[in-house]
Amino acid sequence: MKAFWLPVLLLAFVVAGCAHSPDSTVSAAPQVMASLPVTQETAPAPTAIQKEPPVPEAPTIAADTGPLAQEKARTPAVPASATPSGGPGAPALAAQEAAAAPKADEFGDIAEFEEGEKGSGGEKVEKPEIADPLEPFNRAMYHFNDKLYYWVLKPVAQGYGKVVPKPARVSVDNFFTNLAFPIRFVNCLLQADLGGAAKELGRFTVNTVWGVGGLLDPASSEEIDLARQDRDFGQTLGTYGIGQGFYITWPVFGPSSPRDTVGLVGDSFLLPLAYVSPWYVGGGARAYDMVNDTSLSIGDYEALQGAAIDPYVAIRDAYVQYRLKKIQLKGSNAPPDKKGLQKP
Amino acid sequence: MKRSFILAIAISLLLSLPAWAGAPLDTVQINVNKGLEVLRDPKLKGDSAKEAKKEKLRLIYNNLFDDVEMGKRTLSRNWNSLNTAQRQEFVKLFRQVLEKAYVDRILDYKDEKIVFDKESMVSDTQAEVYTRVLTSANKEIPISYRTIKKDGSWRVYDVVIENVSLVLNYRTQFNDILAKNNPEHLLETLRQKVKGQ
Repeated sequence: MKAFWLPVLLLAFVVAGCAHSPDSTVSAAPQVMASLPVTQETAPAPTAIQKEPPVPEAPTIAADTGPLAQEKARTPAVPASATPSGGPGAPALAAQEAAAAPKADEFGDIAEFEEGEKGSGGEKVEKPEIADPLEPFNRAMYHFNDKLYYWVLKPVAQGYGKVVPKPARVSVDNFFTNLAFPIRFVNCLLQADLGGAAKELGRFTVNTVWGVGGLLDPASSEEIDLARQDRDFGQTLGTYGIGQGFYITWPVFGPSSPRDTVGLVGDSFLLPLAYVSPWYVGGGARAYDMVNDTSLSIGDYEALQGAAIDPYVAIRDAYVQYRLKKIQLKGSNAPPDKKGLQKP
Repeated sequence: MKRSFILAIAISLLLSLPAWAGAPLDTVQINVNKGLEVLRDPKLKGDSAKEAKKEKLRLIYNNLFDDVEMGKRTLSRNWNSLNTAQRQEFVKLFRQVLEKAYVDRILDYKDEKIVFDKESMVSDTQAEVYTRVLTSANKEIPISYRTIKKDGSWRVYDVVIENVSLVLNYRTQFNDILAKNNPEHLLETLRQKVKGQ
């Protein structure tokens, strides 16, 4: 199997060599683009907020991040959230009338909002909201990035995707992910998560040695099962209690906040590509990473946009929700309990 | 002897079925798997079968999701400022918006695997069901379903994809619109969205 991958990957790298050129079309600032671009430009994932009360609530976050705290936060929310859902038609009543006409009740007023809103998240304090004083600028940048995606990034990625088979592109993705190991490792340490750091170190070793320099990802296989620890410096700052501040959309980079911008810059020093000389080789490689990522997630951004009533607001909200959760979960996607087991 | 033993096991399995079928995770799992069956049904291949597939998926959706609960939670405090007719129309339109946005993506599902991890009870009547979608691109997308128990059965009222809650996301958008406009304007926006492409 590996014998097959190698030539394919070589091909991928040949194409990679050409990446500088597509890259220069990509934007005026290609060297910047990259370490986490997928999520920013294309992924369905991140972004978001609401503008009403500008409450950067990060301080509480730090305090509340522990699994225990989460557990606690969840409990009090329970009785409250149980009531509003039933609304006027309490469950018992509804059951009696089930056959008759639950409809009328269903559309009745709701009595309590706040608790009902919490859903099973249960965390009271951390409303996913962000101030957006720069909205006009941000909207302009949103449109710029939108055009960048549709006019440049997407066509380039589609063309590239036609030439390079998917398994090769997945390997390239693995390679760049493996290369960004220092970011995750250092941030695990900064978050005082030795277990996470050990996992990352293990992953890096396994994938570099047995994964053909990071092209394959044996560490994620069921037998080894070392999950990637998604950490970044913005998240680290969040766990220290630093608030996100306000919303800002950067050209090329996409949604961010002052805290996460500092995080992005800080992390970029940990990326080996930052030390490649001449600088444009590193920049080209990052741009190539972005194109490769995009080729694997074409349709995500379109779906997000298609589903939204106001795509700008939808992305802003998704960004904030995503970042908040990331700080709470400290990078693991695991549900809270599972995580509690990992890091008591 | 052997036969009756197997029979006994089969019966006990059947009897225990309703017991676990009541749990949130099973409700989600059963319905999602039904959906996957429809998607992978070899008899429903090609564009011509698309409508048939959609129709089947709609039935499954009706079983699994609680439209009204979802609508209420999405509008939250604004729900009360709509009159009953508007609420009904809102729920209908919101559902159509979601269907329009996601049905084609869902119909594209093929190689993805879904892992049903666990459920966590938030209260007696609320639970979150954690799942992961493993894509062919070696990516893992966490998706959780927030469910509520009504009339003895569990229904989904929110889906959290990559830690982003659908209900919260739309709430932010609707709040934004309703902060400056009346409910009728929101409904009109949704009507346009449903009509437009």
